[in-house]
Amino acid sequence: MTGTRHTHEPVIDVRHLVKRFGRFTAVDGLDLQVQPGSVHGFLGPNGAGKTTTIRALLGLYRATAGRIRVLGLDPARHADAVTRQLSYVPGEVTLWPNLTGQEVLDALAGLRGRRDEAAERRLTEAFALDPHRKVRTYSKGNRQKVVLVAAFAAPTDLLILDEPTSGLDPLMEVMFQQCVRDAAAAGRTILLSSHLLAEVEDVCDTVTIIKDGRLVESGRLADMRHLAASTVTARPPAEQFAAVMERLHRLGVAADSDAGVLHMSVPRTTVPAALGLLAEVEADDITCTPARLEDLFLRHYAVAAR
Amino acid sequence: MRLTWLLLRRHRLFLGCWLLLLIAMSAGTVTAYQNTYPTGQQRRIAVALAQDNAATTLIYGRLPGPGTPAQMYVWEIGACTTILTAVFAILLTVSLTRAAEDDGTLELLRSCGLTVDQPLYAATGVLTACAGTLAAGCAVVVGVHGGHADGVTWAGSAAYGSVVGLTFLLFAALTMLLAQIAPTAGQARLLAFATMGASFTVRAFADTRPAGWLNWCSPLGLRATVEPFTTDRWTALSAPAAATALAIGAATFVARRREFGAGLLRRRDTRLRRLRIRSTAGLAARLTRASVLTWTTAVATIGTLFAAMGSGAVDQQRDGDIGGFLGAQLGDGEPAAGYLSYCGTVVGIMVCVYAVLSVTASRHAERLGLTDMMLATGARRWAPLASQATVTAAGAAIILAVTAMVTALIAPAVVEGDDITTRALLYTAGQWPAAAAITGCTVLLAGTAPRLTALAWLPLAVSAALALLGDLLEVPPRIQDLGLFGHVPDAAAADSTPVALLVLAGAGALMCLTGLIGMNRRDLVTG
Repeated sequence: MTGTRHTHEPVIDVRHLVKRFGRFTAVDGLDLQVQPGSVHGFLGPNGAGKTTTIRALLGLYRATAGRIRVLGLDPARHADAVTRQLSYVPGEVTLWPNLTGQEVLDALAGLRGRRDEAAERRLTEAFALDPHRKVRTYSKGNRQKVVLVAAFAAPTDLLILDEPTSGLDPLMEVMFQQCVRDAAAAGRTILLSSHLLAEVEDVCDTVTIIKDGRLVESGRLADMRHLAASTVTARPPAEQFAAVMERLHRLGVAADSDAGVLHMSVPRTTVPAALGLLAEVEADDITCTPARLEDLFLRHYAVAAR
Repeated sequence: MRLTWLLLRRHRLFLGCWLLLLIAMSAGTVTAYQNTYPTGQQRRIAVALAQDNAATTLIYGRLPGPGTPAQMYVWEIGACTTILTAVFAILLTVSLTRAAEDDGTLELLRSCGLTVDQPLYAATGVLTACAGTLAAGCAVVVGVHGGHADGVTWAGSAAYGSVVGLTFLLFAALTMLLAQIAPTAGQARLLAFATMGASFTVRAFADTRPAGWLNWCSPLGLRATVEPFTTDRWTALSAPAAATALAIGAATFVARRREFGAGLLRRRDTRLRRLRIRSTAGLAARLTRASVLTWTTAVATIGTLFAAMGSGAVDQQRDGDIGGFLGAQLGDGEPAAGYLSYCGTVVGIMVCVYAVLSVTASRHAERLGLTDMMLATGARRWAPLASQATVTAAGAAIILAVTAMVTALIAPAVVEGDDITTRALLYTAGQWPAAAAITGCTVLLAGTAPRLTALAWLPLAVSAALALLGDLLEVPPRIQDLGLFGHVPDAAAADSTPVALLVLAGAGALMCLTGLIGMNRRDLVTG
């Protein structure tokens, strides 16, 4: 549907994006690549710059510096051509209070000029949405459903979803994940922004983590798990305590001690050597908790207020 | 008490501007009546004419004898002040009570341990303080002219101040009650304005027919019952004060018995209709449909009423000088043309208010993120604002066309003179370029400096003041010409070339274009 674009070119290609508001730098040299047909998680704590980046992708904000290409086009110059081919779900959904849900769907599809009414009906039913009520009577979740139906039903190549499940109940969250999988299976590309790892872990192939407007980590989820460290605890014999600490130190592992128990964060590659050492000195209560992505993620989240 | 402070803090700008406007309006004009009729002889003629005139009686009420400058002031300026006071009371009360409920801010406050009554009590506190300030302000600014204008006394000034203050409080209390009954804040406003229209009609009926007692039934009839600077009948304040207390009590009673966010009247929340639109202009037209309909009804009614009331004024102007505010409006030319031109200006001001509000809605949509939603479907960056401007200009055209046609039908039957139909038609329809210019000005601000969009009210307020008070305050004509109004040439005159109108429309288009270019170049500003 995107015409001239080369199929292997990233659908979203952001290089060194900088966005400043006065003296405040919201995004600072960010790189973001999303490959065609992938489901890409865009993670970061509140205020990390996710929404600012997304608004730049849509052409709503102009980049202070850097280069943005969405579907092969510069959104600052061809915002209409870009947005006609993508579906967007904003983080905070506001709709026209006097229109009904159905009228909002009609309005959005009418503006786009392209629509798949059968998909719209199917999704309206799947999300258990009553489209004939006026928007002002809708709860936050119901407003979200209207926009999700419009986004998934629109015949577009790319979906940009900004924290789309806030306000949905758990059942509808499952429904949402199904929709994301179906969209991916149909060859559509999805950028899913969230501050919850669990939300993206189930559906995403690749993630980009940002903090304070800067890139922290980017890549395949499977690869990232290897980056995380395992947590090892053990109680070595009291007389060998100092020697064990010294030998661990030589392995490059810094251990904390608490009432004779050692706690250490061990990189994946060093785990066999560390466990071997603890077994050799016949330490008691050895535990090894495998790498959790959540820990890696939480470590990145420790930010100062900005 | 904390809640009262919070409300004051939240609405301080709105409160401050309105209070300043109303008190300033009372302050600037009291000596103008003394200066307009410097000799007793001139004044006696003017008073006799005014007392005998059905049209001015309908607009301002009865002018009591002997017609001192103080009495003329309460009669004319008092009429305008009390009407504006009612408008202020309605707008403020709805934003203090129901609007806070509809936008969700009251929900948060109610969750902090407030009772159902507390928000209403706090609102009552703010409204009472406002009424007190208004009463004291108006009394003082009139009272200080004691030595300079005949008939001005401190007792009369206090009575006048009390009339203004109590009119405010009575409308506030009625609006508070209506806000508990109406299903939404918008409909509460509509009901309250309808009540104001009814009050005006009752007052006009009471003054033009032998039914003076009806003034006791109209919140706008307080000037007639209290008669500041004439009898200073303080006891006449007791009935409306009791009615105010009763309305507040009833509002509290109803508030305890209704659901949060809903009035006693239920609203229709489901609809099976579909929306067939292809463009942002289509969507804008659909979203503003109801408001254009309301505005058309209101402006056509008020405009026609004004034109219909002109017969007496026109005849009187032919016989001699009316003087005062209305005399200044009619000017020196053909009286019928002067009066219809004045009616056109009044209609023009109303349509410009519509235009500013309508374009500002686009800025509101941007702030809420609705513009984001439209742009994310492939609409061009300038399209939502351009659509809103187009729909506003078209809406202004519809309002003016309907008003012009109704006025042109009614006016020839009541106003004597030549070419009344043509003049009524063109003086009204000729206001469109002014509406286009103010639309352009608002688009310019919304497009280039979105946070300053509210500044669009400034040229409108200045132009309205120049058009209505310019002659009375002796502003030089070349400065008056800078305003938006008063540029429609007399259709029947030989040299009627609409150069100024073309300039206004051209300036409007140019500002629109600049605003749209600005919109294309800037970031969207939400929140």
